Amino acid sequence: MGFVKLILRRKTLLFAVGVLLSLVVISIFAPYFVPYDPDALRVVDRLQPPSAAHFFGTDHFGRDIFSRVLVGTRVTFILGISISAFALVFGVPLGVLSGYYDRLGMLIMRIVDAIMAFPAIILALALMAIMGKPGMVNVIIAVGMVWAPRMVRVVYSSTLSLRENTYVEAARALGASSGRILVRHIAVNLLSPVIVQSTFTFAFSIMEVAALNFLGVGIPPYVPSWGGMMNEGRTYIIRAPWIIIFPGVFLALSVLSFNLLGDALRDRLDPKLRHLV
Amino acid sequence: MLSFVVRRAAGMVVSVLLVVTITFILMQLIPGDPASVLLGPNATPEQIEALNRTWGFDKPIFVQFYKYFANFLRGNLGESIFFRQPVLRIIGQRAETSVFLGIMALIVVVGLGIPAGVIAAVRPNSWVDNSLLLLALAGASIPSFWLGLMLMVLFAGKLHLLPSSGYTSVIATGNIANLKNLILPAFALGFVNAALVARTARSSMLDVLRADYITTARAKGLRDSVVILKHALRNAAIPITTVISFTFASLVSGAVVTENVFALPGVGSLIVQSVLKRDYPTIQGIMLVVAVLYVVINFVTDLAYAFLDPRIRYR
Repeated sequence: MGFVKLILRRKTLLFAVGVLLSLVVISIFAPYFVPYDPDALRVVDRLQPPSAAHFFGTDHFGRDIFSRVLVGTRVTFILGISISAFALVFGVPLGVLSGYYDRLGMLIMRIVDAIMAFPAIILALALMAIMGKPGMVNVIIAVGMVWAPRMVRVVYSSTLSLRENTYVEAARALGASSGRILVRHIAVNLLSPVIVQSTFTFAFSIMEVAALNFLGVGIPPYVPSWGGMMNEGRTYIIRAPWIIIFPGVFLALSVLSFNLLGDALRDRLDPKLRHLV
Repeated sequence: MLSFVVRRAAGMVVSVLLVVTITFILMQLIPGDPASVLLGPNATPEQIEALNRTWGFDKPIFVQFYKYFANFLRGNLGESIFFRQPVLRIIGQRAETSVFLGIMALIVVVGLGIPAGVIAAVRPNSWVDNSLLLLALAGASIPSFWLGLMLMVLFAGKLHLLPSSGYTSVIATGNIANLKNLILPAFALGFVNAALVARTARSSMLDVLRADYITTARAKGLRDSVVILKHALRNAAIPITTVISFTFASLVSGAVVTENVFALPGVGSLIVQSVLKRDYPTIQGIMLVVAVLYVVINFVTDLAYAFLDPRIRYR
């Protein structure tokens, strides 16, 4: 029975990578090939159900949902990548230093735990309120601040186990400086947990960004985004559910693919966990 | 056991202190003069003076922090700019909806997650296992607010089985049927976390089912159901409980959006309204209450483990 699962896993991985590659292509080229201008208002065509002319139907302004969903991919991916980068830039150095220097680690991990006591969306909402205006940069900071501590945690615990390795001891015995050990022997080996955590960060952050946009506190409503479209469609949910269905399907597919990719990478890069999943 | 409780309690106090400090620092980051932020541009000098007396905004930052902390200990989280009422009272008025929603969502989490995980673990790699695994993965990837909207379309819009939005207090009206309004939201909220619990239940059950005492129990000729429910599930309970206790934060996060979707008058919709209205005292009040609750729940779970598994006390 073992190989059935393996094929299933390979198949799901194939599916995930396929979806992600298509979404990357869409996010880069969508503005050049979508059938309609995503912002063009055509009131005569409002609330049209899906058809050959409008694959995903139209919204209350007569805008083409298909074009808007495809163009919205770009915002989603830009935000996902930026937030993951934010988490990496703050999370990796802090995590490595906390794992290597015990006292610093105790202090930083206490703070990290305290930040993590605030549920993700509540912290992001509060940060959006403090920064004032909706906007891309503010969303990146708000959601990045939520996910950076989680990255610190992962890097911290990996560093803790890495520094106990014999080769670190050997390097130290040979007189290597702490800086050299941190960079040449520890940071390099952090690559796999960091990659795995980044895929999960991406998945969760695009979900959270969509939630912020859905609540109307993310990026400005005139930028087509999946969460924003679902927010606008709420009034017409019974009459025109397609306004909400399609952005949600794209969001769920993206998150699912990143989760599948993350799971597969974790299995691949960390053989100890293989039997668990 | 006593030293364990004392150590954990000390840790909890430190965490609460840090949570209060973080909220204080965040509130310092709001641009503008606190008096005009909190009272609006038309504040009278008397109002400003009264505000400064309670919160010490005209004093050095350490005095402000001291006052902030002292007010926190007294249960004074400030006054809402919008409602012109103490923040704690407003949160209290909204708590019922959120607590009931949370409990019902937790029932969904446990009621779906554990059976699904156990069934999958009993027949590993079967089609049941694979489909449950796939369903769990899909569940973890679907945004709860989208699931909520879809349920609303189906059950309220098309089938007219359940109400689509709103909620009237059960405690005030005594009408338990009002809980019907929370069924769809609770399912939307619980499903995502049920997926997580199912995965954990499956993997910890798989670990336990490999143990020697399970083989012994089977060899004794015990029925499958007894082996699985009595011998295996009990021992797999600790990791499952951990995940369920983790779901608190995720349930709170999900509730913020779900309450908004279903127009429920809970704490989650309160914080969104407060953000849109820049009602800073209410925002920080909710942050404090939720984070302190999280710290306390963690403390209680730690104690529960120590009670369930004596080995933990010595770590």
